Amino acid sequence: MEWLIEPFALGFQQRALLGGIIAGVMASVVGTWLVLRGMSFFGDAFVHGVVPGIAAAVLLDFSPFLGAALAAGVMVLGIVLIHRQTALKEDTAIGLLFIGMLGLGVVIVSRSTSYTGSLTAILFGDALGVTREALLEQAVMAAIVVPAGILLYRPLLALSFDRTKAQALGMRPGLTHAVLLVLIAAAVIGSYQAVGTLLAFGLLVGPPATAALLARTVPAMMVIAVVIAVVSVVIGLVVSYHLGTAGSATMAMLPIVLFFLTLTASRLLAWRRHPSVRAGVGESAG
Amino acid sequence: MSPHTVDATAEGLVLRYGDHVAVAASSFVIPARSVTAVIGPNGSGKSSVLHALAGLLDPSEGRLQVLGESPRRARTRVSYVLQSVTVPAGTPLTVDEAVGMGRYPRLGLWRRRSTEDRQRVRASMDRLDITDLAHRHLTELSGGQRQRVYVAQGIAQDHEMLLLDEPLTGLDLVSARTIDRLIHSERRYGCSVVLTTHDLGEARAADHVLLMNRRVLACGPPEEVLTEANLEVAYGLGALHGIAGAIHGVEGSFVDDPAHRSQTRPPG
Repeated sequence: MEWLIEPFALGFQQRALLGGIIAGVMASVVGTWLVLRGMSFFGDAFVHGVVPGIAAAVLLDFSPFLGAALAAGVMVLGIVLIHRQTALKEDTAIGLLFIGMLGLGVVIVSRSTSYTGSLTAILFGDALGVTREALLEQAVMAAIVVPAGILLYRPLLALSFDRTKAQALGMRPGLTHAVLLVLIAAAVIGSYQAVGTLLAFGLLVGPPATAALLARTVPAMMVIAVVIAVVSVVIGLVVSYHLGTAGSATMAMLPIVLFFLTLTASRLLAWRRHPSVRAGVGESAG
Repeated sequence: MSPHTVDATAEGLVLRYGDHVAVAASSFVIPARSVTAVIGPNGSGKSSVLHALAGLLDPSEGRLQVLGESPRRARTRVSYVLQSVTVPAGTPLTVDEAVGMGRYPRLGLWRRRSTEDRQRVRASMDRLDITDLAHRHLTELSGGQRQRVYVAQGIAQDHEMLLLDEPLTGLDLVSARTIDRLIHSERRYGCSVVLTTHDLGEARAADHVLLMNRRVLACGPPEEVLTEANLEVAYGLGALHGIAGAIHGVEGSFVDDPAHRSQTRPPG
């Protein structure tokens, strides 16, 4: 068992583990709704969109959480403004803000003396450099995000089902959508130090997407996603320690690997159970 | 009609989406404990009227009262089954949970489902004959079975008025028959039903009809509203060649079994 314990013997390694687990749990709960709402492109854009805020915070020495929150706010307002003031669809607005904010982030970081190091840390995280203060801030964020993602189950499920139906059921879809955007922002901001902004997207989408292949209900999907995220963090750090790979990237990559393994296994099982699949005729509800 | 016999009243009602007028100034009533069919060509404003009755689209002009109050206030007493709900393929949602969503207005955000809620969900599934599908995924169902789930969701909600947007369009025989029976049995529970349709036979089987084309052209019992003259105005002269039989009952008027009903459908 030494191979499993050794990677977590020292304080900074334990903080990496704790930071990764908090990030994984937070991202899985919020990511479940992100996947169910079909907002993966928004999530992808969002993790890039917070870069200028974090970059400005690093450069000007204020809280990266505050910087990311400001950038997230600008991003959401920009998307809403374009969507309301033009005939363009929301994905175009997201695409514009995505590139605009990422570009701004790189421009800001390029003013830093340690350009490459800062940019790498923001985008890909520094799991082994997670501080006690960062852990505390992350825990506070998780204490808000995780209960909110669970307690708002009914309005979020109704919104995932159908926006108009959610309104007819009195579940206030507009407000619920806005709260979901805030939760996504909080999850990305709370995860960025452990896994970086880009790789936070892996934890947001990977575990819930894998869980969707296995679960029959949304609560089960959420639980399975959390388990996958935690396992990915632990195994990712162990692999990173023994193979000398980047900790954050290894953690974020594992859920994607697990997704394809699960997909392959489920298709093989279906292939064995249903001869029609073998013949290339997919099951379809008529 | 006295207020006790009317579930909804519209006076000079205008409905708009931005600058687009969906329904021009219209006046009509929805009688209580009755089935009202809203018929008209595509884009005639049928769904907009349902949206307004459900409190989802505010009147731009005029007055609309539902169950004695504004549609927004009456929203918890009105259940609305939408025309097209496309639940994403990967959504892990069972029939039981989808029908149970009908209880959300009563349960709010956090209240736990009581025995009464569970019984109501079960009874709704029984009425739509989908109890045996309770643990199936929505994505594993046929289109007709899914529509029965959505109607069960609608009746699981506490309601005095049930709104159904094209509930029988494109359904298999069993699902159409099951939903049709439910529509006509709602009166027994003291509820009024308002449904949109393209099917003249279905409209003739209703107690009350709203004939529409960008406004309510006629409102009243089917035999008074679905006249050749009125239908000419609603659908245009050319369109009447295809539906003349249905108007005169040549192909057989609506019977309770959709299998034997004339499938004549006005174009548009």
